[in-house]
Amino acid sequence: MTICQFFLQGRCRFGERCWNEHPGAWGAGGGRQQHPSGSNRRGWNATSQRYSSVIQPSSFSKSTPWGGSREQEKPSFGSFDSGDSTNRNRGFGLSQNPFATSPTSDEQKDEKKLLEGIVKDMEVWESSGQWMFSAYSPMKKKPSISGFTDISPEELRLEYHNFLTSNNLQSYLNSIQQLKNQWRNRVNELKTLNTSTKIALLSDIKDGINQATPTFGFGSRQTATFGSPGFPVNNSMGDNAQNSSFTTSSGFATAPTGSPSVFGNSPAFGAVPSTSPAITTSTPAPGFGKPEITSAASFSFKTPAASGFGSAGFSGFPAPMAAGPVGAPGAPAFGNSSSVAGFGSPGSHSHTPFSKSFSDTHDGHSSTSTSVSVSNGSTTTGNELFTPKHQLTAEELRQFQSKKFTLGKIPLKPPPVELLNI
Amino acid sequence: MHGPAGPGAPLRPRKKRSSPIQGEALATYAPAGPSTSPAGTRVRLRSSLGSEPLELKLKLAFAERQILKRAKMSLFGTTSGFGTGGTSMFGSTTTDNHNPMKDIEVTSSPDDSIGCLSFSPPTLPGNFLIAGSWANDVRCWEVQDSGQTIPKAQQMHTGPVLDVCWSDDGSKVFTASCDKTAKMWDLNSNQAIQIAQHDAPVKTIHWIKAPNYSCVMTGSWDKTLKFWDTRSSNPMMVLQLPERCYCADMIYPMAVVATAERGLIVYQLENQPSEFRRIESPLKHQHRCVAIFKDKQNKPTGFALGSIEGRVAIHYINPPNPAKDNFTFKCHRSNGTNTSAPQDIYAVNGIAFHPVHGTLATVGSDGRFSFWDKDARTKLKTSEQLDQPISACCFNHNGNIFAYASSYDWSKGHEFYNPQKKNYIFLRNAAEELKPRNKK
Repeated sequence: MTICQFFLQGRCRFGERCWNEHPGAWGAGGGRQQHPSGSNRRGWNATSQRYSSVIQPSSFSKSTPWGGSREQEKPSFGSFDSGDSTNRNRGFGLSQNPFATSPTSDEQKDEKKLLEGIVKDMEVWESSGQWMFSAYSPMKKKPSISGFTDISPEELRLEYHNFLTSNNLQSYLNSIQQLKNQWRNRVNELKTLNTSTKIALLSDIKDGINQATPTFGFGSRQTATFGSPGFPVNNSMGDNAQNSSFTTSSGFATAPTGSPSVFGNSPAFGAVPSTSPAITTSTPAPGFGKPEITSAASFSFKTPAASGFGSAGFSGFPAPMAAGPVGAPGAPAFGNSSSVAGFGSPGSHSHTPFSKSFSDTHDGHSSTSTSVSVSNGSTTTGNELFTPKHQLTAEELRQFQSKKFTLGKIPLKPPPVELLNI
Repeated sequence: MHGPAGPGAPLRPRKKRSSPIQGEALATYAPAGPSTSPAGTRVRLRSSLGSEPLELKLKLAFAERQILKRAKMSLFGTTSGFGTGGTSMFGSTTTDNHNPMKDIEVTSSPDDSIGCLSFSPPTLPGNFLIAGSWANDVRCWEVQDSGQTIPKAQQMHTGPVLDVCWSDDGSKVFTASCDKTAKMWDLNSNQAIQIAQHDAPVKTIHWIKAPNYSCVMTGSWDKTLKFWDTRSSNPMMVLQLPERCYCADMIYPMAVVATAERGLIVYQLENQPSEFRRIESPLKHQHRCVAIFKDKQNKPTGFALGSIEGRVAIHYINPPNPAKDNFTFKCHRSNGTNTSAPQDIYAVNGIAFHPVHGTLATVGSDGRFSFWDKDARTKLKTSEQLDQPISACCFNHNGNIFAYASSYDWSKGHEFYNPQKKNYIFLRNAAEELKPRNKK
């Protein structure tokens, strides 16, 4: 069809009746508030297509991991992002100095970008009306961030039909509502990144130990469970994949001293002890639930000095535990200090019994019990990640506060959280 | 079950009327040629309809020209009613937008959402279309060159049908369903027997024809990929998947499976199926559909992966330069260039590659389909927006026909599910529009 020249000038007197083509006039036909770009409206026009589909420089182009910035000049396909993530090599291979208190600035920039990217992605996700039950990863080639259940529309629809036939639509609706709330909570957490979520995210991404797959158990509430800063487990779900991921982590944890990079991650866990007071003082907020994702690396924080601290810190724990919604049978077993002490003892040996028992309690849908055991373990480890200031000698404190460590005076304990700047 | 059309009597595509009154008007007023009423005059036809001044003559003239134009370019030849119905001509007065592209509508379309479409292989003369739907049925139509569609046969499952495929000789159709089984439907005898069993709904099904074996590959939400000899009730092979299978594609000797939690695995099928590589997903969100493409030598060389986030990733298996050759592009978003307003992002429901040109088509929840040239990295065309999401698409074996299904895909949950809404399958001439751009 020929394009109406008068319409282009804004003065076609036939309007709808015009026999010529009015570009854009059809775009509103769907009844939705759409603003199709010039290219999309008339797909017939071949020549205009080539440079047409430039898409907004969305969050993706901002975060360079997608390589978007390089490609923005190329007209076609919008901001197509080529290939591998350029950040692959920015591995968080920290120096061998386990007590490096802050990552290199390059890494910090990356992390910042990552976090910014995540925030933007969350905003886009919320506003765009896209499918909410989807796994999400902030960058290509990175593992998914936990807290998002991956459910396909067909699965949901099948559930709907099943519930419909069994006349149980209300429970379907309830489950959907719960899932939606979970999602919304998680998205809000990620949008308002406080330190704890940041830490969790960063370690999540760094270690790449993926979290569990969702069971289709409608009604498993992930926010109900305590955060387990030491766990790769997404505590709302338990699954076989989760089992396997956990075993790897326990294997990892059994060699704490042999992996200095583990300690190198300590800054990442900076926020964890800050949450431990949260345990004693308040009911676990969903925010606390977030550090659960952090890798199993935290298990290895079994410094001898920390052990005493661990049990001390743990004593405050059972109180909120009881207060929490997790009234799982597993709780008492782990709640008593004897097991804690065993857990808190130095060395990795304590790990294996714990991990074994974890695997035992850990089956498909026993999310609450797993989370309890998880949170137990994690709290102790959490307390051991950082030494509170009063436990440091003056000398050590001075070392941490100085710009660089002086050889021979490097503290053996992890730094206090207050000194870390994330 | 749809019986075959009466001998010799061609089925007329149903004319759609949005209201009976308008249809009547169509019949009574002879279409005036474009030259009779000058375009400028406001012809107020005092029609017996009474309603708003329709300016019928002009509209009819316009419609007439449309039909003539389409008749010229159609491979299917001209038929008087293009099966699109009179309503689309009156786009301003009615808001019926079920077929804005004025494509051929398949008769007797399924009663519930269409989950999968598949055309017959070249070994079968003519074109036969199979569609599986959420009404638990699988239907077969013969598509003639004139554009007429003749319902041929139908089979039932006890659960919604999620995937269909043809055998290589075109005599059998394999169907995968939520009832955890897969069936083999012999079209000649119109019998269907169960050939596969899973512990969870079967999401994908493909027929593998290798030099030394043939089998059916089924992917299921029970996290397994099973290979079946249709004669035996035990699978020939079971491969574990990391997660539920969401979509798969197969072009011998390569198969690719995309799972939940952004899992992506490539299999090689020579000798026997085995895992070739696990790939880290190039996409950030849930995988929705995947399609393999071939290189100039007609060997499968990579795949296109679509997600729920309006993005497709093109990934080569062994590219000379992965950073440059692999890329992703955004599609099925509401406002392309307007950066200030938040976009609406839709899922990519299906990807299909043109068998001859190598260009690809994507269909999305926004109710549009788009054609792309991945080598020139350009968009070839985007359709108008249909009033329902497009849930499936397929090319026929020579690439002349592009079929797409307009039905609800659950992308907005149960609230937007309207069981009364009609589901359509449209056929479009794809020979011209998918020619690749000449890359300079």
